[in-house]
Amino acid sequence: MSIFPENVSTYGQAIDNLFWLILAFVAFAFFVSLFILIYPLIKYSSKKVNRAEYITGEKKKHFKWITIALVGLLLSDFVILYVEHDTWGEIESVPSKADVRIAIIARQWNWIFVYPGPDGVLGTTDDVTIDEMNSSLHVPINANIVFELRSQDVIHSFFLANTRLKQDALPGRTVIRWFNITKPGKYDISCTQICGILHSKMRNFVLAETPEQYKHFTDSLYNANKPATASN
Amino acid sequence: MENLHHKKSFWSKYIFSTDHKTIGIQYMVMGMFMAGVGGYLAYVFRYNLAFPGKSIPFYGMLGAEQYNAFVTIHGMIMVFWVGMPVLLSAFGNFLIPIMIGTDDMAFPTLNALSVQIFFLSAVILIASFFVPGGAFGGGWTMYPPFSAGGYLNHNPDFFKALFSGTSLLILAVALEFVAMLMGGINFLVTTVNKRAKGMTPWKIPVIIWFLNIGAVIFMFSVGPLVAGAFMLLFDNVLGTGFYDPHRGGDPMLWEHLFWFFGHPEVYVLLLPSLGVLAEIVPVFSRKPLFAYKTIIYLALLSAFLSVLVWAHHQFVAGIDPRMATFFSIGTILISIPFAGIFLSYMATLWGGKITMKVPMLWAIGFIGLFLIGGLTGLFLGSNTFDIYAHDTYFVVAHFHYTLFPDIFFGFFAAFYFWFPKFSGKELNPKLGKWHFWLTFIFFNGLFFLLFFNGLAGQHRRINDYSSFSLISREPYQTFEQIATISAIGLILSQFIFLYNFISTLRSNRKSVKNPWESTTLEWLSDSPPPHGNFNPYPVVYRGAYDYSLPDVPEDFTPQNVPNPNNN
Amino acid sequence: METNQNHLAIPIIKIPQGRLGMWVLIAGELVIFGGLICCYLLFRIRYPHWGAMAANTNTFIGALNTVVLLLSSYTIVRAHGAAVKLDIAKARLWMMCTLLGGVMFLVDKSIEYAHEISEGFTFTSPKLVAAGDHVGSLFWSFYYIMTGLHGAHVLAGMTAIFIVMMQIRKGNNMHRVELVGMYWHMVDLIWIFLFPLLYIAK
Repeated sequence: MSIFPENVSTYGQAIDNLFWLILAFVAFAFFVSLFILIYPLIKYSSKKVNRAEYITGEKKKHFKWITIALVGLLLSDFVILYVEHDTWGEIESVPSKADVRIAIIARQWNWIFVYPGPDGVLGTTDDVTIDEMNSSLHVPINANIVFELRSQDVIHSFFLANTRLKQDALPGRTVIRWFNITKPGKYDISCTQICGILHSKMRNFVLAETPEQYKHFTDSLYNANKPATASN
Repeated sequence: MENLHHKKSFWSKYIFSTDHKTIGIQYMVMGMFMAGVGGYLAYVFRYNLAFPGKSIPFYGMLGAEQYNAFVTIHGMIMVFWVGMPVLLSAFGNFLIPIMIGTDDMAFPTLNALSVQIFFLSAVILIASFFVPGGAFGGGWTMYPPFSAGGYLNHNPDFFKALFSGTSLLILAVALEFVAMLMGGINFLVTTVNKRAKGMTPWKIPVIIWFLNIGAVIFMFSVGPLVAGAFMLLFDNVLGTGFYDPHRGGDPMLWEHLFWFFGHPEVYVLLLPSLGVLAEIVPVFSRKPLFAYKTIIYLALLSAFLSVLVWAHHQFVAGIDPRMATFFSIGTILISIPFAGIFLSYMATLWGGKITMKVPMLWAIGFIGLFLIGGLTGLFLGSNTFDIYAHDTYFVVAHFHYTLFPDIFFGFFAAFYFWFPKFSGKELNPKLGKWHFWLTFIFFNGLFFLLFFNGLAGQHRRINDYSSFSLISREPYQTFEQIATISAIGLILSQFIFLYNFISTLRSNRKSVKNPWESTTLEWLSDSPPPHGNFNPYPVVYRGAYDYSLPDVPEDFTPQNVPNPNNN
Repeated sequence: METNQNHLAIPIIKIPQGRLGMWVLIAGELVIFGGLICCYLLFRIRYPHWGAMAANTNTFIGALNTVVLLLSSYTIVRAHGAAVKLDIAKARLWMMCTLLGGVMFLVDKSIEYAHEISEGFTFTSPKLVAAGDHVGSLFWSFYYIMTGLHGAHVLAGMTAIFIVMMQIRKGNNMHRVELVGMYWHMVDLIWIFLFPLLYIAK
């Protein structure tokens, strides 16, 4: 059993790999440090208060070991930074090809999903807004889902653990993020920024479907909403 | 008549005293009391997490609103009403004058005022539980607009808004800042101005350096937040829109102001404890502190870097992605001085003659646990992994692995070390060891498994995980229960300490002047030190860590012993 | 009563204690105002519209107040000079002048506030909000919080000067004249920053 929830996004694996890389550095540093800490406790332990060696550590000869350790730490840090940099850029920037554009609006206490309507453009009169607790956001698999994230009242945070994506929703701002789910299924959306009494009930789903199922869903959604095309 | 006189002297001696030692003890006792309150809150919400929907012994049912308030106030208390008073104020007030060889702080009246304001702030904080609506429940970070009442109602009822949990919390924190600023002024002026003759900068013990660096960091990072707190208070009581985006304000402003203070604040908490280690480790390894000067330089460097890292708390808050890389580098850089300081402490052990007395046990436990806390920081300092780990239990476990050793292990190490000095009595070392081992084991039981909960995607500050399929499954629910049982064990093992403390105070196991054979000046004074501390005042001839000097018969040479080569 | 036998042997003081403490206090205060001014500047850059709002402040009274504060700083310098020469009467007279300056500043400020409030510019400016000018109302929130906090410092400084004036009647605590003077200079200095930011920059 993996320690992470199942990864279903295109960039999730990179984050998991990053974890194992950092863990390798950290485990090495941990065991070395533990040795440095525990070994002298055994080797130099003394029953009685007794005279010890006089080492002030001001000499280069003595301090060089610490310098080496610090340079090692700095180097491994920069290796991490170098490795992660591309993934960071990938997640935080908008992909050139957006297959589906939607808007996700947080409020106390629900996630509101706005589908762009038949024209595929948000902010037009044919947008369809779904504001129901425990509702599902339907998305097609293997498609770049680009979403605008907003908040109506306080700060919320959009967390889709299975894609490894998290982003705060701030009132007054629109943040654009994206994900691409590779496996059909129903995944939890949760709010990770404390936002009031029903913070723990702010749970919706992403329902990843095959393109055909998604087409079917949107068609029926848009048809059902044709008369009431009011948007906000 | 006799009785009246006695009563008066009790008040002036213990409550309204201006003596730095009494004030230090007042801060310590208040901090310990608040730790009890914070621990109780933790017990209640941890019990709720492990056994959701069950009635909690010694509390009852816990609703979502109280749950939010409890986690919020728990964080607030542990940082501002336990960490700050115990580490900065109690150590600072008790130790600074006596370790630099003087009679009292520079401004004793200001000092007394600071402790009274601190008391008032604690009262207001606790009172906020009992106002209509209860205590504030939006996280200790108090992000607006949730904390800025004005976003719901542009014309709040002034008095109702003033006596809401939110406003009272802001007021309490503001007063606490004022108390700490007064203390900080005192620390700096005392250390600059009132050092014993011969106590040149490079002869000052590390803890005094660190307390002052901490005070400086605090003073220069808290200012903008004080301004921000005024704005938040006005948003609440007057209905202004400083943080309301619909009226031109910006909630992100608070995040920046808060973390510009909030991150340096963890170094304000860390530095005094690191200072405690610097005093304890050499004493019990009978060796000079490794690289004393370098440690001071590293701490100064970290003070400078501490104001360059704040936005690593906001990697997923919607800041500019390029900015995140800058703050990631800052975070990497600041790990270097602290790693250097810890490595120097470990290097001090090598070649020593180590006796595992109780204070040393706590010191080593601190280093060991902080190792985990510090290294897991590497995961979170990486902005990419932070996208996933942010606001999960991974973060919770990480900062408890740093702050718990820092605040509690640091405090207990100091307490067992200096108790003979401030009371003149000797604690029972056997009970001290029991206290240490139980605390150590239960602490790990409490937080280690939570790392895995965090990696499984468990996010923070949720009172009921039943609707989240990723978390409400095994083994994560069992991990929660193990954590809660350990938390109860952790709290119960503190009663060993309380028993040891009280029974020792009532016993007459007198301690000698310098039980640990240490070199610093406080051990020259009587135990407990009289008013005025020294008679005559000492003259300093050497650094604070002259252990096992060659060509000297004793294995320690106090700071007031003249150097034979010079005289 | 415990007496300290060897009081004279207390380690030497290198800088007058109070002066050093006052410097640290001033540093702390400046960071608070610095934070506030930075917040204001960030919004000022974001909203060019605030220039129109700043046009509603009374530059004349602002300038007058600047002169008043500068003059009162001068008088407190003279008070310090007199205090150094232990000329109690003169020191108290100059401090009186400073207090007068402070009172005049507050009176000017009150006239200004009264005028602005009568025009509908308040902490929340409901009139502006009703007209849809939310951003403008934020300017006034900043205006009142900055000048208000500064006014509170003027009041605190005046209280301190008054207390010291009473204390030195019999020649005690003469060194405190310098300390309140330093504080008063800080109050003056902050105003020097606030005046162009809130009044002149349009």
